[in-house]
Parts: sequence; structure tokens; C-alpha cells
Amino acid sequence: MVETEVRRVVVVGGGSAGWIAACRLAAQARRIGSGVQVTLVESRHVPTVGVGEGTWPTMRNTLARIGITETDFIRSCDAAFKQGARFVGWTDGTADDGYYHPLNPPAGATEIDLAPHWLHGAAETASFADWVDYQAMLCDAGLGPKTIVMPEYAGHANYAYHLDAGKFATLLREHGVGTLGIDHVLGDVVRPEMSDHGDIVHLELADGRIVPGDLFVDCTGFAARLIGGVYQVPFRRCGDVLFADRAMALQVPYEDEDAPITCHTVSTAQGSGWIWDIGLWTRRGVGHVYSSAHSSDDAAEAALRRYVGPAAEGLNVRRITIDAGHRTRFWQNNCVAVGLSAGFIEPLEASALMLIEASMDAIADRLPRTRAAMDVMARQFNATFTHHWMRIIEFLKLHYVLTRRTDTDFWRDNVAASSIPDGLAEQLELWRHHSPGPQDFTHAREVFSWPSYQYVLHGMGFASRQPRIDPAAPDTALAQRFVTRMARARDDLRTRAPRHRDLLRAIREHGLQRV
Amino acid sequence: MTGITPLSPAAHRGLRYDRHAAGGTRRFARIGLSEIAVAAADMPLCLAKDGQTGRFNLIALMSLVEPANLFVFGGGFQATYVPRAVMLGGFRLDARGAAGLAVDPADPSLGDAGAPLFAGEQPTPLSHDIARALERLVADVEGAQALVDAWAAHGLIRPLGLSLSQPDGRAHDLAGLYTIDEAAVQALPDADLIALHRADRLAPAAVLTASLAQVERLRQLHNARFAPALTGYSLD
Repeated sequence: MVETEVRRVVVVGGGSAGWIAACRLAAQARRIGSGVQVTLVESRHVPTVGVGEGTWPTMRNTLARIGITETDFIRSCDAAFKQGARFVGWTDGTADDGYYHPLNPPAGATEIDLAPHWLHGAAETASFADWVDYQAMLCDAGLGPKTIVMPEYAGHANYAYHLDAGKFATLLREHGVGTLGIDHVLGDVVRPEMSDHGDIVHLELADGRIVPGDLFVDCTGFAARLIGGVYQVPFRRCGDVLFADRAMALQVPYEDEDAPITCHTVSTAQGSGWIWDIGLWTRRGVGHVYSSAHSSDDAAEAALRRYVGPAAEGLNVRRITIDAGHRTRFWQNNCVAVGLSAGFIEPLEASALMLIEASMDAIADRLPRTRAAMDVMARQFNATFTHHWMRIIEFLKLHYVLTRRTDTDFWRDNVAASSIPDGLAEQLELWRHHSPGPQDFTHAREVFSWPSYQYVLHGMGFASRQPRIDPAAPDTALAQRFVTRMARARDDLRTRAPRHRDLLRAIREHGLQRV
Repeated sequence: MTGITPLSPAAHRGLRYDRHAAGGTRRFARIGLSEIAVAAADMPLCLAKDGQTGRFNLIALMSLVEPANLFVFGGGFQATYVPRAVMLGGFRLDARGAAGLAVDPADPSLGDAGAPLFAGEQPTPLSHDIARALERLVADVEGAQALVDAWAAHGLIRPLGLSLSQPDGRAHDLAGLYTIDEAAVQALPDADLIALHRADRLAPAAVLTASLAQVERLRQLHNARFAPALTGYSLD
């Protein structure tokens, strides 16, 4: 392979993925003075999907790297804070069935595993999330993860965001073009020009313009114009594991302008799927994810409207088809797929935007200097993200396999052994004897780390036969110190943390300081 | 703060103002633009965030770890300059009140001693003087706020690490204080530097930085009246 320098990166697609990709690349080029020019090609005729309205805490780092202030982001995207998810009705469907998966790790996570101490000392009186961390209290009380005096992107609790995806793409575009110098090309790609060794040389647009590049980032959404259309990289479906293949969404206005804004995602189990409910500054986003093999569209819509209540009257649902799965390779020749073109699954743990960010961390922070270096990068990238997808699918399936619900075929089918990935089944057997820990994972950087598994397993009452820890053992005292310290923090924040809407209002009005 | 009420002869006919008792419990005070140079002769000047807006406020420190004003002892304010917000801490502007004032009866400067606020049913000249002084202070604090906002907009503010050493070797860190980021000032583009200089935004920044030496004065005042002694301090 020739030592051609990578000087021009072309991003195809103008949704969240395309603009995050272009902004990360352009910001990194400015940061290190590489001189790499970033072009984004966007069709006027292809609407964006905009499915990602929930982020991970990683978004704070992404925005900071791009150079967007948290104040501008919150103001421009109707953003609100997200401190985790509450899963309602997933375990047995009874009235008080619910647990939190907060974004904070358990107290003392780098020094001690509190799970066995909880199992043998407090499981009868406190939920796991409540015993090991204070964030569930903040969520229950509708309190924010930071105060107005804290600097941008810092908080007293870990946090992510809920956002308006359309407004987010607009903010990124304005910043990318106006500040980062991204070349924004409006046009429809009609054909790629290929080299003898299979690289894309340039894209030809419908009006005859030519867009040359050294690396092409396919952010064309479900169409996957390059990774699928040009390179025919196979798509690996996972509908046999995750049954949800439909979603419908409503944008629900608040009852009044001072209505509380929920500071976490609420995911409520339904007969054939689940309903998400997120709070933005101006509205709620509510949607039903379901399996068309287990429910008709009409029944699913009726369930969604029933959940929302009178506020749903007169609102139109937006329908999305989910072809659950991912590409078998994400980087082929000089083309890498990011976003929906790489894959998509139900948004149970808001992994869509996170995967875009993770992809761009891997691409932008070590952009191959030459074409020759690209093949090594591609191999590493493909191995890493194949693993990430496997783990994400397993982690989402975890939410289903632990259910004790038997009220519908959907839940009964979900616990069928044939639908459980071998890797997950093996881990579950292991976790009957100890709580998930860092040593249970082969990769140093997992997208879902062991605390997430603990929150779900213990939140859903997974039967665990862990040995009892001697009350006189040093670890018992250490565990108690962490729990006591955490309880003090909880009491302090209960009185000091601001109401979520008040915090957002203050940020919108006054802004956050940089330091 | 909830006890603040419009000044009225009916409620406050016998109320007096004792300037020597002002500020006994004030640990810091917001200062105005014109006060920077004179307050720096006694007190460390720094920045702290407003709890409601998060904006940086310019303040003069009058305490370290004590629940008291280190400058107030021996029957008065022992400094070459008393911040106006300290002198006027018992008053607010309020159009509903006599002389356009409201009062905080809990403030130590208000009570049975000192000069009267009313002569019969009418506010005394002192009350009117206080109202005018408050108006000047509000305008002066707004001037300081514009100065601080300009520093913030140019990224010239950094957290201030102030650590006090105790006799047992432990350190007591004062959190939530900010100061001028000198490195950021030096790194300013020439055009910004000139613009800030012409707007008289840089000289006050230098005064702020220099005023941090007054932490030693506070430490000495602490050791004269409070135990345990503070054996030293460090600024970062």
C-alpha cells in the first residue's frame, strides 16, 4: 500500500452521527495542527432519523473536545440532565416492581465490592442501588446532579443528558462550519469512483461536483450507502436475541411550564416491549419499543397512548423500524461506518450516541497518518467494535433474561435458552457464585463495566449464592465506612442539590462558568 | 434575611445606627469597582460564585476559618478601610420604606446605640445619607461585576487553592475561591490585551493578585484572638 498521506476526510450524512464525526475530526485536526481538512456531504432530500435522545456521560467529554460549552449545549438542544435509568415492571410486573441503574458507580468501587455486603446485610431492607449510592435518591427527589456554581461539565454526581436530536445536529453543524472550518457540501451522492485496490477515490454528486477524499466516514444512517451499498459488508442480525423490531414515539408537552423534569430515563415494561419516557426542557419524549411478532402496531400504539394518558390526545406518533444488528465489519478499505450505518438496536441503554462517540474517539484521536497505516487501524477497529456490539447485545438481553414475568409470550420467549447468547449464559452461571467484577471481562475497556451488571442483576433480584463475609473481617469495616460516607453525602445532597428544572432554568438564564 | 422590612417610623422610630458595630459577623463582603485599591490595603480580594446565578462576584475576605470578622475587635473595625457593604450591611434600598430604605434589625449595627434613624416621624439626614450611599454602592458593585464578567469572558479566572496549616500538621482547605489566572493574562492575544488595558481591566487584576499577600494579615489576626493557631498557609 502506498504511503499516501491522509489529508482529506469526507463524512457522508448530516445527522447526529455525521456532525459528531465531522466535529470530532475537525476539532482534533485543529488541536494538533494536522492540517487535515474535513468535508461533510449532506443531502437535502434525506431526512435524519434522530433516534438518539439519550446520552451517556461520555457526551460531556465529547462536547468539551469539540469545543461546545455546556451552557450553549443546554440552551440550544433543550437538554436536560440524566442520572441513569429506572426500570419499572421488568422483574415481575407487580405494582412496586422497579429498580435504578444509576450512572454513579457503587461507593468505593475501586477499593471494594459492596455487593456481598449488601446481599448478606441489607438486601432485605434497602435496594442495591440505594445502599451503595445516593443517585437513586436524587432521581426520586427530582434533584439535579450539579449546582449553578459548579464549572462546566462537572457535577456532584455522574450525569449524562437527554436532548433534542434535531436541535443537537443543528448546533453541531453551526459550530462545525462556523468555528471548526468544516466544509459543508449540500448534494446527493450518486456514485463513488473506486481505485484499482478497492478504495474510494472520490464521490460524484448529482450536480456533477466531485468530492475527493483519503478517508470516508459513512454516516448515511440505515441506508449505509458506502459500507453496505458500495462494499456490501454483511449485516449480522440479532433479532433472535433482542426481539424488538418496532418503535413509535410521541413528543408530549408538559402540563405547565413549571412541571417537574424527570432527571432519569424511565423504562416501563409492557406486554410486548417497553416504553421510554425522558424529560427535556420543553417536552417529554415518550416511545414504545416492541416486537411485531408479539404485538400489532395498533395494540402497541394503544399501549403507548394509554401510558401517556389524556396528554396524548391529538399527538401523532412517529414510527421507526428496527432492523436489530450490526455490520460484520465497520471499517473496509478507506471507509468506516459510524452510527446507524454500522448497526442499531433498541435504545434500552441509550447506546446509539455512545457508539458514535466511541467510534470517533478511536478514529479521530489516532487518525492514520497514511493510507498504509489505515489497514492496521481498520483491523483493530473492527475487532474492538465487534466485541462492543456483542457485549451491548448481551447486556441488553440481560434485562430480559432475568425476568420472572410470564404474562405474555414476549416475556416467556425472552427467557428461552435458545435466545440467550452463549457468552451471557456462561457469565450468568458464574455470577450465581459472585457479583460481577472487573476480572469477569476480557477486555480492559468494556462499554458496560461491572457496576452496570451489578445494578441490573441485583436490581432484578438475581439469585446469588455468594459466601457470607465474616462481620469481624477487615472488609466488613471498610464496607461500612464507604456506606456511611455515602449516606452522609446523600443527606447533604438531599438538602443542597437544586430541583432539576430550577437548575436548568438557572443555567439557561445565567450560564455556567468555565471553571 | 427574612427579617428585612421597609423602614417605617411606626416600627423603627427608636432604631439607631452604630457604625462601629457594623460587620462583626461578616466573613466577606462584595466590593465595588472604586474600592479595589483601598480594600486591598487590608484584605485579600478574590472571587466567589453567586449561589443563585453562578456568576463570579468580587469579594474582600475578612475571615479564614473563624465564624467572625477578624477585623472587628476592641470596639470597632481595625482596618484602614471598611468596605461599604460592611458599613451598610443592615440596610437595603426599598422604595416602600422611609428614605427609600429597608432594614435588617438583626444586623449588629442596628439597635439602641448610635445615631438615630428618625427624628419624630421623619427620617433623619443620616437615613437619607445611607440611602444615597447605598445607591452609589449598587452602581459601584455593578461596575465591579462588569469588570469580573470581562475577566470571565476572556478566561482569566482560575480556582484559588488556599490551604491553612494547623499545629497538628493537618491542613484546612478553603474551597470555592477564585483568582486571576496570570498565565492566561500573559497568554492573551495582543489585541485582547490592548483592549482590556484600554478598558482598565488589567490594573485591577494585578491588584487582586497582589492582595493575596494579605492572607498573612488574616492569619496574624486569627492567631491574635483564636486558637488553635494557624502555623502557615499556601496559595496555589
